[in-house]
Amino acid sequence: MAFLLNCPNCGQRNVYDFRFGGEVLTRPQPDVSNEDLTEYLFFRENADGPQREWWNHNMGCRKWFIAVRNTHTNEVIETAWSPELEWPPIQANDGGQADGE
Amino acid sequence: MANKGTGERLTRSEHELIDRDAVIEFEFEGRRVSAYQGDTVGSAVTAVGMDILSRSFKYHRPRGMLCAAGNCPNCLMTVDGIPNVRSCTMQVQPGMKVKRQNAWPSVDHDIGSLLDRMDRLLPVGFYYKAFHKPKFLWDIMRPIVRRIAGLGKIDISSDGGPRYSHRNMQADVAVIGGGPAGMAAALEAADAGLDVVLIDDQPALGGHLLSDTARYEGIEGVGDGTGQEIADSLRGRVVAQSGIRVLSGASAFGYYQDNLIAVRQGLESIQLRAGRVVMATGAFEVPFQFENNDRPGVMLASGALRMARLYRVPPGKRALVVTDNDGGYSSALNLIDAGLEIAALVDLRSDAGTSDVGDAVRKAGIEVLAGYRVVSASGKKRVSWVKVMAPDSSTRVLKCDLVCMAGVPQPANGLLLQQPGVEVEYDEQLRESVPARLPGTVFTAGDINGFHDLGIVFGQGVAAGRKAAGVADDGSSQLSALEGEYRNGLRLSGDSASGGSAKKEFVCLCEDVSTKDIGVAIREGFGDIQTLKRYTTSTMGPCQGKMCHKAFVEATAIHTGGTIAATGATTARPPAQGVPLGALAGPGHMPLKRTPLDAVHRAAGAEMVELGPWLRAHNYGSPQDEALTVRERVGIIDVSTLGKLDVRGADAGKLLDKVYTHRFSNLKEGRIRYGLLCGENGVIMDDGTVTRLSEDHYFVSTTTGNVDAIEDWFNWWLAGTGMDVFVTNVTSAYGAINVAGPRARETLSKLTDVDLSSDAFGYMRSFSGAVAGVPCIFLRIGFVGETGWELHFPSEYAEHLWKALMEAGAEYGIGPFGLEAQRILRLEKGHIIVSQDTDAATDPLDAGMRWAVRFDKPDFIGRAGLAANRKRESEEKLVGFVMRGDFVPEDGQPIVESGVPIGRVTSSRLSPTLKKGFGLGWVPEKLAEEGAEILIRSGDKDWPAVVATEPIYDPKGERLRN
Repeated sequence: MAFLLNCPNCGQRNVYDFRFGGEVLTRPQPDVSNEDLTEYLFFRENADGPQREWWNHNMGCRKWFIAVRNTHTNEVIETAWSPELEWPPIQANDGGQADGE
Repeated sequence: MANKGTGERLTRSEHELIDRDAVIEFEFEGRRVSAYQGDTVGSAVTAVGMDILSRSFKYHRPRGMLCAAGNCPNCLMTVDGIPNVRSCTMQVQPGMKVKRQNAWPSVDHDIGSLLDRMDRLLPVGFYYKAFHKPKFLWDIMRPIVRRIAGLGKIDISSDGGPRYSHRNMQADVAVIGGGPAGMAAALEAADAGLDVVLIDDQPALGGHLLSDTARYEGIEGVGDGTGQEIADSLRGRVVAQSGIRVLSGASAFGYYQDNLIAVRQGLESIQLRAGRVVMATGAFEVPFQFENNDRPGVMLASGALRMARLYRVPPGKRALVVTDNDGGYSSALNLIDAGLEIAALVDLRSDAGTSDVGDAVRKAGIEVLAGYRVVSASGKKRVSWVKVMAPDSSTRVLKCDLVCMAGVPQPANGLLLQQPGVEVEYDEQLRESVPARLPGTVFTAGDINGFHDLGIVFGQGVAAGRKAAGVADDGSSQLSALEGEYRNGLRLSGDSASGGSAKKEFVCLCEDVSTKDIGVAIREGFGDIQTLKRYTTSTMGPCQGKMCHKAFVEATAIHTGGTIAATGATTARPPAQGVPLGALAGPGHMPLKRTPLDAVHRAAGAEMVELGPWLRAHNYGSPQDEALTVRERVGIIDVSTLGKLDVRGADAGKLLDKVYTHRFSNLKEGRIRYGLLCGENGVIMDDGTVTRLSEDHYFVSTTTGNVDAIEDWFNWWLAGTGMDVFVTNVTSAYGAINVAGPRARETLSKLTDVDLSSDAFGYMRSFSGAVAGVPCIFLRIGFVGETGWELHFPSEYAEHLWKALMEAGAEYGIGPFGLEAQRILRLEKGHIIVSQDTDAATDPLDAGMRWAVRFDKPDFIGRAGLAANRKRESEEKLVGFVMRGDFVPEDGQPIVESGVPIGRVTSSRLSPTLKKGFGLGWVPEKLAEEGAEILIRSGDKDWPAVVATEPIYDPKGERLRN
């Protein structure tokens, strides 16, 4: 893991300056079934190819953003603020929207 | 070996790397050896006549100088306690202690060399098949095999060895390789105004030109002269160009994605990120295969020339040159120029044709044995004669003490191939694997491309430098013409040099793998090059394939009947060159944070302790006395290390409701509430207090050391929601002091106008106001269980405020208390410390904090997980306990039943109020009742204790609320 990542705020930086936040997931409703909760907590797509994932520019502006990275080649295809990045199979973003507040 | 001075040397040369005016001494196996400044350990010991530099890995065969360039495994020695140092490139330092390795009793007389005659017992892959029947045999043999095999020994009594450091660098263009191509590329790119770093692993820039006395004329951009003169002139230009930073004696061992280059230079490990990279790493000569091709005295021609030219050490007296290309003829001429006698030149090609160098060699009176092959080398500890075979199968014996192998080189692409997107292909015409596809920011130049002609090499360097600089390259067509001409002029042998299958003709010197071994392994079914590599361990030794990859692929192709292109190649991975683990590890760079009161604590004689990133005052002499000061009078503690987050905005309450289990949107202004943070699975992540300072402004505290993660956590749940909230980490901006104890109110009242009476300023309330003139946020909370205020203020005022409090409290017997006293005090109140009393599976329900979880909120982080947990039976509960006797358990000791652990102590101390051992621990649900009897095991003794579900101190909180 030595690639460069483009922070939407700061620009291209060493990947060491970032914290990985995992795959972008859709947060389930609070009344989720045990099976779906288990799925959400413990199972990951682990795509071999383009994957939407969270990154935090930990040693820079400390902002979270979303990157589409090809896990096979480590090529970062695109980075953008959530939820600006279109990604048909997954809904725009989980944080605070799926929870019905 | 007595001290023979600096040994035998050739006459002075202006291009030598040694300083004859500076003689230094070092210790070699207990004896003193002299060397010149600039000598390597290898050159110094060769000069005094040492032939055997090491013993081989498996058969303990004698091995001598081979490459003299830091590539092969033959000269590995232990230097100043560090094993496996390449002595041929390690410069001698005065007083250095050097010894050879992997032999007993000595390298010159090694009992282990008997193994060389027992090779039938040690077939290829013997690890998997020999000594396994009967079964117990392997248990006996394994330790013996492991002892005999292997290389240097790590000195486990060492004090840690040298101290390595790390450095980051950036460059527009990184050029790897300081030969003519690399220097040309660096100069072009720097002349175009770019910032260039040139990395070279040799002591001086120049590459193979350093030991080349052939004369070159008419090369564009290069003045006429000998190779050495051209190297000097290019080096001068590089040094004069301020846009080039040169890293000499530096090995680039890793080449990672997006042009990150890992370099080791001495005790420094450098990470260089470059925009563009020019790979000009050159090519290695590699050994030919014939019986005893590893005997001392059998060298690469380039190695022999390096010894002669750079260190003026004669590599031998009478050399047999073996070659399969015109380059060997140039080497022969160079060796004559260095003063050696040439026994003959064996040209493996059946049709060598004619060439200028060929004519020159014949004119020098050297016998050329065209179409011959080398059968074997002989000589016990050094080669003394060589048997060669003519095309008609007649044999001849030639006397010589040196064999110089000058084969078609193997491109030094081990580093290049680590970069994703790089592919090489075997070029049938050049008979080398050359770059076929490169990422847009990577360029190659010189011998690595398979061209071994100075004009082309230099031209490619210029072109690569221009491309890397984004400058239009007008010389390309001219260069293509030269390359085409070169290709047409090539007359390379169609026959492979590694056709034999003798037992002791080695493909892989590092691991003692012979051509026969490869044939056997392929017959056993390991025909694929990747599995063959693993089974035979070829290319897996210290040289990482530098000396053997070409021969390994050729031998595999011959035995499988495939082509070299179809046979493929092994995968190149970092490190391309051995690197000490210490250089990779380097020093820790964990920043240590000091509170604004650090100097005050030290002046008061505090014992400091590391807690997360912070240094905290652990105690000021007696934690028990400090705790009693708080219980009986008044104490102050520096709590500046608490994480502090300023959370503002119209949606601040909404965010806090979402991340905490409690509800905060309904918290009244000026009120404080305890908060628990859970993960999505319902496990406790952190705790702290939340204070509402105003309608849209909250002040949040987190545990020491966790604040950065919690800040990330808050921001993560905010990302992309469009919520109007700003989270600012003010941990270091605010200092904090907790004033607690029955006399806290009186002490503080002397310094502030804020009404601290219990009616005006109740428990869990907050006000702002000045203390001793310092603007403070007052939080009336009670971690230690006494009347008290946590004061948060701009950290610059910390010392002033501390001093003012100490003076104001003097009449009430105020004293500072440290972390340890605070731990005792909070434990008496049954207050948990997250991750001390909880673990990665603790939820608030098990921890007895159901009251802090609001299931009536529609949602919060962890709600679904906690709801699922609520449905199952709880297995363990966190409870308090008090010891029956005077024993005080330690944190982590087991709680047992009939000698079997059923729970564990998480925190335990001596209570200053009860004068008894007490604490918190996890017990099975059935024992989580007031008065239940439990046993705590210490060593082999069980100590009785009683469960207490209420805090042992002030269970109703009357003192706290007073």
